[in-house]
Amino acid sequence: MTKHDENRRAFLVGAVAGAAAGAGAVATAALVSNSEARTQPEGGVDSLSKAARQGAFFNAADAATVAAFAERLMPGAPGKPGAADANVLNYIDLALAGAYTDQQDFYRHGLAALEAHCRKTYGESFAKLTEAQQDETIRALEEGKAESFTWPQARAFFDTLRTHTMEGMFADPVYGGNKDFAGWTLVGFPGVQLIFTPNELESRQAFARAPVAGLQSKARST
Amino acid sequence: MATERTDVVIVGVGAAGAILAAELAGAGMRVIALERGPRHAQADFKAMDELRFFQRQDTRPNPKRQPVTWRPNANARATPLRVLNYGNQAGGGSVHYGAVSWRFHEDDFRARSHTIERYGAKAIPEDTSLADWPLTYPELEPYYDKAEYDLGVSGKAGNLNGQIVEGGNPFEAPRKREFPLPPLHDDQAGKLFDEAANKLGYKPFSSPHAIISRDYKGRAACTYCGFCQGFGCYNGAKSSTLVTHLPLADATGNFRLITLAMVYRVNSDNSGRATGVSYYGPDGSDNTIEAEIVILAPFVFDNTRLLLLSKTAKFPNGFANSSGQVGKHFMAHIAPRVFAAFDDRYVNNYMGPNAQKHSFDEFNGDNFDHKDVGFIRGSNIAVATAGLEGGPIASAMGLVPPPGTPTWGAAYRDFFSKYFARHLVLLSEIENLPYPDHIIDLDPDVKDAWGLPAPRVTYDWHRQNENKQVEFIQPKLEELARAMGAAHVWRAPLGAGQPGPHPQGGTRMGSNPRTSVVNKYSQSWDVPNLFIVGSSTNPSMSGFNPTLTIQALAYYTADAITNRYRKSPGPLV
Repeated sequence: MTKHDENRRAFLVGAVAGAAAGAGAVATAALVSNSEARTQPEGGVDSLSKAARQGAFFNAADAATVAAFAERLMPGAPGKPGAADANVLNYIDLALAGAYTDQQDFYRHGLAALEAHCRKTYGESFAKLTEAQQDETIRALEEGKAESFTWPQARAFFDTLRTHTMEGMFADPVYGGNKDFAGWTLVGFPGVQLIFTPNELESRQAFARAPVAGLQSKARST
Repeated sequence: MATERTDVVIVGVGAAGAILAAELAGAGMRVIALERGPRHAQADFKAMDELRFFQRQDTRPNPKRQPVTWRPNANARATPLRVLNYGNQAGGGSVHYGAVSWRFHEDDFRARSHTIERYGAKAIPEDTSLADWPLTYPELEPYYDKAEYDLGVSGKAGNLNGQIVEGGNPFEAPRKREFPLPPLHDDQAGKLFDEAANKLGYKPFSSPHAIISRDYKGRAACTYCGFCQGFGCYNGAKSSTLVTHLPLADATGNFRLITLAMVYRVNSDNSGRATGVSYYGPDGSDNTIEAEIVILAPFVFDNTRLLLLSKTAKFPNGFANSSGQVGKHFMAHIAPRVFAAFDDRYVNNYMGPNAQKHSFDEFNGDNFDHKDVGFIRGSNIAVATAGLEGGPIASAMGLVPPPGTPTWGAAYRDFFSKYFARHLVLLSEIENLPYPDHIIDLDPDVKDAWGLPAPRVTYDWHRQNENKQVEFIQPKLEELARAMGAAHVWRAPLGAGQPGPHPQGGTRMGSNPRTSVVNKYSQSWDVPNLFIVGSSTNPSMSGFNPTLTIQALAYYTADAITNRYRKSPGPLV
């Protein structure tokens, strides 16, 4: 995919969201849902159910940060589903409320340090930075050059977000990411195929059968 | 608190323990086995779930509850290893392993003598404690044969009774008969590997796997789903001892398996004889099994740990450790890898069994002249996947992009989406020499979930012999990748000096009670009714995966117990 296509997509998404033109697609989506939440009457059943949908662990601000971060790690483009398309945020959110509860503090501290770094460097939260600034920030973490980090260390926080983003891209959809097989479609992985035939084993071509989800198909059959 | 009496207690029913359970119970002994993990049913593996089994390591020990710590040298502080690549359930590592099933070379059993004979005593590096095994390949051959036929190993003979056979490994030790099953079907990775290796003048072959290529002993053949290494097998085609030997043990009526049991001590009396073991049950209970014969068969780290946790007045340095050798001579494979990515074809490397699909053996053991290379011993070379398996999470974690390509962002996405199904990995497994200062002991700071000290490994593979091996083998892998026609060829990072695959040592076997822990029957020199089995007993390793050798040795031990020890309990040597 060409750089032109990506720019065009960012422009279109930005144009829809109005004020947030230039921010990453997911950051934009998160901002939209924030503004939606603000228009809801406070306290009612409706806002409770919205809040429940907002996140099992993250608050709105942290959700926007994580979504924007994941999208810069695995950006979407036309024909190339990214972290937002795969709903990586939802995967990480559910994991932190479940299998990874022991990493909640890691995220709390890491996100606070990231916020401090972005405020100090750009005067703005991560989700509101330009893509170039977001990339610059991620590189600083990757290279261990973000001084606001103590525990977790910047590099460890980067590594964990990368790992969890990849899990959200490519794990079975039952875990809340890899929405509509976004990740498997991106790389051409056919999921759980119980049998590969000799012809398929010997083929030099891309494998064409549609992806199958192991856990979801199992759940359906029981 | 419960106390039970039995003939034999076995700690750990993995690759070796389950064989001993089936053999000894089959010979009429009452056997109780204690297993730290659960006993899975086949249905548990129908969830072919890369996140759960590969990434979150559900069939492997949880490093937070069961830590093993590592430090590169005695002056460094040890920290827990993040991944423990061995088993944590009935069947042990054979449940999730890649099932590569080699017989060691003849000279692997006598690497020290062989090296001196061919290159002179000066060829042995000064810092190594390399020692011959106390048994030879011909002694073990019948037990290799039995293991292959009982388990169901698929492969092609390369040396039948001294005759070289086309299509197999011409360097393999002579076997008495063909494999019980033909090789697994070739996939693209195997075909590419064979073409390139042939071009370069090597003799490639389909690596032997304990995965059944045809229906065998009531089990259905492999369907090449690819959820293999890192996973339990959904249809039971992988010949793990969970499906091969535990059912045999069950059928004897003499066998009882207690799962979720954490053994914390080997008990002994004033004479120094082992009387049984103590374990914590899943309900927190503190229990004892009293037995005539005690067999320790957990993974490498826990054999040493259990002995060190079982000190007595008679054995102040660890049970059965009058030699002072317990915990020493720890080894693991060093595994340099080279990535190969193709622009003109797909490889679809996520299909089929993942581990060492095809191999060649020209640079293993002493299969080539070492006169001018500056090191001894060698490495198997094979084609495999970037992680343990070929799925997208394993590849996202293990397929490190080439220099100049970032690990994230649009460029990474484009790299990964293009090459996920168009890459393969060339893998070596370098034989690590034993060194007396590579040790396992008890961590003074880190404890496991039961409050027991974690095993601590002091080890750094960067020794002169190993560094030279790595330098030698990496260009061979690159040459092979180019001969495959790969558009992009690059090296995987080597990482720090922590232990790689197939840890071995800690309770080495030998011919001399002063310099080894067990004799060739894996029987303790100090405590004749104590047997310590598994790759912890290997005095040296090989450039081959160790599991089939562990299993052959288990049969060898079972035979000695059944036919000799039982009639006349006492030292077998």
